[in-house]
Amino acid sequence: MSVADYAARNRLRIGAGAVALVALALLAALFDLPVADLLTVGTAERALRAATPIALAAIGGLYAEKSGVFNIGLEGFMIFGALTAAAGAWISAGSESVGQADLWLGIVVAVAVCTLLTLLFAVLTIRYEADQIVAGLAVWFVGLGFGPFTATVLWGGVSSPTLPNIDNVTVPVLAEIPVVGPILFDASPLVLFTVLLAVAAWVVLYRTKWGYWVQAAGENPEALDTAGVDVNRVRYAAVVFSGALAGLGGAVLAIGIGSGFTGTGVTMVDGRGWIAIVAYLFGNYNPLGAFGASLLFGATDMLQVQFQTVGISLPGSIVGLFPYVAVLVVLNLVGYTRVPSAVGEPYDTEE
Amino acid sequence: MLRASVVERFAIAVAATLLALFLGSVVVAAAGYDAVEFVSSLAYGAFGSSSNVAFTLRQSTMLVLAGVAVAVAFRAGVFNIGVQGQFVVGGFATAVTVLFLAPMLPEGAVGGVLLVGLGTLAAILSGGAYAALPGLMKAYADANEVITTIMLNFIASGVVFFLVDRYLRPAGASAPNTETFPEYVSLPSVVFDSPSFSVVGLGVALATVLVVYVVMARTGFGYDLVTSGHQEPAAAYSGVDPKRNVVATMTFSGMVAGLAGAMFTVMILGYYSDPSTFPRFGFDAIAVSLLAANNPLGVVPAGILFGGLDAGGQYIGFTLDVPPELVDGVVGLVVLFVATPELFRMAARRTGLGGDSR
Repeated sequence: MSVADYAARNRLRIGAGAVALVALALLAALFDLPVADLLTVGTAERALRAATPIALAAIGGLYAEKSGVFNIGLEGFMIFGALTAAAGAWISAGSESVGQADLWLGIVVAVAVCTLLTLLFAVLTIRYEADQIVAGLAVWFVGLGFGPFTATVLWGGVSSPTLPNIDNVTVPVLAEIPVVGPILFDASPLVLFTVLLAVAAWVVLYRTKWGYWVQAAGENPEALDTAGVDVNRVRYAAVVFSGALAGLGGAVLAIGIGSGFTGTGVTMVDGRGWIAIVAYLFGNYNPLGAFGASLLFGATDMLQVQFQTVGISLPGSIVGLFPYVAVLVVLNLVGYTRVPSAVGEPYDTEE
Repeated sequence: MLRASVVERFAIAVAATLLALFLGSVVVAAAGYDAVEFVSSLAYGAFGSSSNVAFTLRQSTMLVLAGVAVAVAFRAGVFNIGVQGQFVVGGFATAVTVLFLAPMLPEGAVGGVLLVGLGTLAAILSGGAYAALPGLMKAYADANEVITTIMLNFIASGVVFFLVDRYLRPAGASAPNTETFPEYVSLPSVVFDSPSFSVVGLGVALATVLVVYVVMARTGFGYDLVTSGHQEPAAAYSGVDPKRNVVATMTFSGMVAGLAGAMFTVMILGYYSDPSTFPRFGFDAIAVSLLAANNPLGVVPAGILFGGLDAGGQYIGFTLDVPPELVDGVVGLVVLFVATPELFRMAARRTGLGGDSR
């Protein structure tokens, strides 16, 4: 599906986006908002950073659902990712202060642990045909319980001590480009990685044999089976990929842009896994669309900071609800889109 | 939702709980604590003394009410993950009603009964209205109710915190709490002498179970609700409007969740506070309902079991320094296993306990 095709097939969606933008512009004019101060390079940079964890989980979740398994446990896997990343970095540092190498090790640990946990989830949903929605909710509950539990065992409280961030990388020459340079090429390597991943995920899904397998496993598993490809093996791969990416998203949240694991309330993941699901629905199962939608949510997530810088006084507890309201608006605008037809159905080879 | 007979369901529920508890003990042992002490303290914390029993029953009251709310929706094939939010909104409505009307009504028993009654009514209405929102979104915009209800949980918690913090906090108070209710606004303590549990509350929960059971099993509304959950085409053929049915189901479910909020506010708190600090009854209720196979009557034993787990878990939290969050994890494991009947059928076949009737 090329970009032009995408635009043609999603007139309604793009139209809704345009209407929303016009409405925002009218509002800004009406209330005399300092738009120029709101739309700065800093805004874009912060929105992109906030979008990174959501986009990672969204791209993974999209692959799982394309292959026929609704991984509704993304939120839970993000909690495990955040926890294990913080724990990995902290343990690796030992008695010394946490350095960059420890942080990277933490990320590797988070991805490894979440890969193993998702493998279990995949076995339960694919091999043992567990109800995908209930099992996914269970992953969230298990994360909400064992996340703060493990934190308490390690650190004596539900949250980790403050950890440093991953250093920015500056790509020489490219960073000099105005606007794009400072946003993309003088940024966290994780942001850069996510952008590349979104593009790669698009290419793989729509331009390679594996991508067609993933799509066929969700749309027409019988045909894929007839063609001699093991449907469940494709599904295992897609689900494990989704968990690994959600874990990476959680890790990014804890030590890429945050400052450790927070276990109070619903933990610091705070609904981003659920938002990721809506992001790929809004992006109509297209990795680039999902990335765009994540940016939208990243931007609403950062409204608090924007409002403060330009001096709009809205209480923080209300501005903090904008991403959730945005999710509701988006879901009501696009409905449940067209779900791959075999999602939720376990596949048995009839032999 | 999950294919299984009654006996099979019961066996799966028991096996899932035992397996989850076993895994919990393994985690406890792996974290360097004494697993035997963990299990015995869990039992003592749940049933060991009269005050522990009162605490168990207090948690059970909440879990039975919230569990029935979940079960109503699940029965009709709608996932109401928003019981927590409806519970928060309902409790808030109770608190506002009581605090606003208290100065206008006579003090003493009459005023108390009136305030509790009106507060509960406000909770039922607002819980139902808040649950109708995701119902409308699902019916008329095809928005997935799992996600909308979870978003509405976050929104309820944030908005109620804002309102309590900004408008209901007494001047000079540092915590985001409303004023305490007058002494006479409470449930009478019968049998157990506990400040936060009353047998009357448990009675309300059991009466609600009965009402819901009768509505679901004996009325036309309940019949439409359950058939459209199991056989949507058949229900539509017999003239049930599936869209209106979804909205009605969610509203009914939310009304029960609102009632749970009223009980929590009047019986346990006696004031209102920041909802993000509340126990997550609405989520644990999902486990309760699943364990009960979404049967309103089955919710009672499942609610008492989880009430015991919860009470035992909190007792462990302040005696053993094993973090009490562990019990939340165990509850999650129960949900995971209950969702996987095939796993247990397989185990039963392998061990020769039967279960080949698939």
